Amino acid sequence: MMRGRRRWLAGEPARPRRMRWAAWLAAALVACMVEPAAAQEAARQYGHFPGIGSRAAVWIAAQLHLMFAAFVLGVPMFAVVVEAIGIAKQDSRFDNLAKEFTRLLVIAYSATAIWGAVLVFLLTTLYPAFWGHLSEIFEVSMWIYVGLFFIESFTLYLYYYGWARWKKGRAKLVHLGLGILLNVWGTTVMFIADSWLSYMMSPPANVTPDTAPGMVQLWSAIANATWMPINIHRLIANVVFGGAVVGGYAAYRFLNAKSNAERAHYDWMGYIGNFIAISALLILPFAGYWLGREIYAYNQSMGITMMGGFMSWLWIIQAFLIGVLFLAANYYLWLGLGRIPGGERFVPYTKWMLLVLVVGVVVWATPHTMIADRDELVAMGGTHHPFLGVLGVMSAKNTAVNLMILTTFLSFLMYRRANKRPVVAWARTGTVAQATALLLASVVVIFYGVYGYFVPANVRIGFSVYQVAAVLLAIVAVVVLDMLLSRGAESRGEIRWGEMPERAQYALLVLVVTFTWLMGLMGFARSGIRQHWHIWEVMRDTSEWAATPALGYAGTVISACVLLFLGMIGFIFWLGSLIEEPAYAEDPAPGREEPPPPTLEAALGGTP
Amino acid sequence: MTNLKIFAVVVGTILLYAALANAIPQVQSAVPQELVLAGDVTPEQLVAAGEDLFNGAGGCTACHGLGARAPNLIGDEAGTGPIGVRCAERVPATDCRSYLWESMTDPSAYVVEGYDPIMPDARRTLSEPQIWTLVAFLQNQGGTVSVTAEDVAVEEEAAAGGAAGGGGAPALAGGSTDPEELLQAATCLVCHQLGDQGAAIGPPFDGMGARLDADAIRRGILLPNADTAAGFAAMAGTMPATFGEQLNATQLESIVQYLAGLR
Repeated sequence: MMRGRRRWLAGEPARPRRMRWAAWLAAALVACMVEPAAAQEAARQYGHFPGIGSRAAVWIAAQLHLMFAAFVLGVPMFAVVVEAIGIAKQDSRFDNLAKEFTRLLVIAYSATAIWGAVLVFLLTTLYPAFWGHLSEIFEVSMWIYVGLFFIESFTLYLYYYGWARWKKGRAKLVHLGLGILLNVWGTTVMFIADSWLSYMMSPPANVTPDTAPGMVQLWSAIANATWMPINIHRLIANVVFGGAVVGGYAAYRFLNAKSNAERAHYDWMGYIGNFIAISALLILPFAGYWLGREIYAYNQSMGITMMGGFMSWLWIIQAFLIGVLFLAANYYLWLGLGRIPGGERFVPYTKWMLLVLVVGVVVWATPHTMIADRDELVAMGGTHHPFLGVLGVMSAKNTAVNLMILTTFLSFLMYRRANKRPVVAWARTGTVAQATALLLASVVVIFYGVYGYFVPANVRIGFSVYQVAAVLLAIVAVVVLDMLLSRGAESRGEIRWGEMPERAQYALLVLVVTFTWLMGLMGFARSGIRQHWHIWEVMRDTSEWAATPALGYAGTVISACVLLFLGMIGFIFWLGSLIEEPAYAEDPAPGREEPPPPTLEAALGGTP
Repeated sequence: MTNLKIFAVVVGTILLYAALANAIPQVQSAVPQELVLAGDVTPEQLVAAGEDLFNGAGGCTACHGLGARAPNLIGDEAGTGPIGVRCAERVPATDCRSYLWESMTDPSAYVVEGYDPIMPDARRTLSEPQIWTLVAFLQNQGGTVSVTAEDVAVEEEAAAGGAAGGGGAPALAGGSTDPEELLQAATCLVCHQLGDQGAAIGPPFDGMGARLDADAIRRGILLPNADTAAGFAAMAGTMPATFGEQLNATQLESIVQYLAGLR
């Protein structure tokens, strides 16, 4: 061996047989060491998930995590507000309602954490390079996130398990404080997670493909262009979602109720859930406008891809879904008038309101600026459909949606006023003032909608601000007037809780399914506008799944996620029912009447 | 029976939405593929490659397909004919090929009347050979294709040379640090007034140093949409946020110090 080595060092030829062995050994070593290293190099970029592929695997895990996260963020907001009302009114039924949902939260937290862990494991194994990049920038915020999640969980346990112990006096206020703290932690956790995903959409302008992740400043990455608009949009959307889930749960329990008392309780719960969901829904579009504006301001190409590029058809589906939401929510309220003494006087108006809503949905769902190929352009006879092109522009769409919001608000107002007879001296003047405010808002909306056709596009965009401002101002003015009008108002009779038609409960179920599906669709829109970029114009997706899929595929994945989520939430509800303490009194004995559940308006200061 | 009805309503609603999503036209966002062209590529092959990019990964149709946000490139535009015909008439003394190339690599140099300057530099997402194929495709819309294999080959060599020299976006004005030259190259004077040049679309450069310090000017260049100058709210969002990528640090500081000195 030594001889051979000396020969080699001296440049002498080795004996051929030994040379072959040496070459073979060297090749084997290279095969063992170099080839696996090359394979690892390729594997470090992307992993492979069998069957559905890496993209769908991460998509489903992220979507389910997000849906549970929305549930565990939205429901505590609902619970703490309801608990506060119970304290203010000294009414244990509100307190029981809050507790009933907090019990479900304890189980839902586990599901949220499990799906979060699944998501992280999938990202680590399937998209290791991307995840490494992101974690190098956000590592500190990730540690804080985990710590806060831990603290949030234990705050929840204290909040729920301390309910019976801290139920009176100052201790009850401390308990309420725990609920508020729970919401603070939850919202902070959401804001941190939002910074990661919004950075993927809108990294700071000074970050380029050549920027090492370690050189990106943490705060500039967090406070990126779309971070705060997404925070606010999600915050409001979570309230909507929480209310809708409560409504869906109540509908399920109403339909399966065994007694009148149970039916009355869940009728009341469904009404409160729907009230909170739709109230928050009415302001959600404004947060959406802000987010859209920031996306355009950050990058015109991204904005155009979102609204007029390959995603343009997505907004037609969104319009359809929101149309369903408006119609179902109003239908529920109109049916509810039937169980309110005095509600019948408003029923004749509902057919006209239905007409406004249907026309509004049709206008809103009219396609306008769509990607079209040469043949489609020829078939249309121009760049836009000769008739629908007029309806599809933003002037018409903004007008339609603002009138739909006003109509829905009017439904709420009718519902609120149904069993009241104002006694203040200025009652008639006040009612006329309310009608005038709504009428004026409608005139402003229609005026700018029509005027928008006669001005350039950049001027027209500004008109939506006037339309939105008029609607919001009218809503605020009418609510304030109504609270003053309701002072000391006479009752036309108690609401007959439980006497709600079953089809109203199916409307609530359609609402929760539609909200959940819409959440999935909007998640796809937000994520999909990055197209083949993990991080927009910074880190390209070079995997086999880089292309953003068409809406058909997306719709199928979203549907699967919604089915899985609702299935699991149903299971959680069932688990909760195993340790249920009835939050309602059983049917009273003959001759003794259980007092009806209060209305939310009554609890908030109005007259029942 | 009740639970069965609930299940049917829930699943039926989900299926309805899934069916709707599958019923509409299906458009997938394609990924720009690396372009491999043989040395003897024909004009027809260039046109075909350009058409694929135009309708797919190039993302051109989002604005140009309909003529709503940007000039229609696949048909007649306001009676001026298809792009292959009108391209030579747009800018005096500029032939069709040069005009189309410039419109994609320096889109704010000439903005067609009636449209906003929203087009990004195509080099941010496409390679130069890919841009040449788009030029060929557009020339083919009623005109004569003059792009050749040599153009693509020359650009590929240049790109290779650039990569060897450090890569990154090509420096503006050939890497010059002369602020006035840079202001011209970056087309700042299209919107900002300096002496007797420029338009009043954005805040004037004249006297800028008296209104803003160097930090504010630098921020205005790098993050133009972060703040809006008083009196220019209507034009918010117009200025491209790409100068941080187009200018190197020396060039940026040269412009900043120059503008800060205009009192």
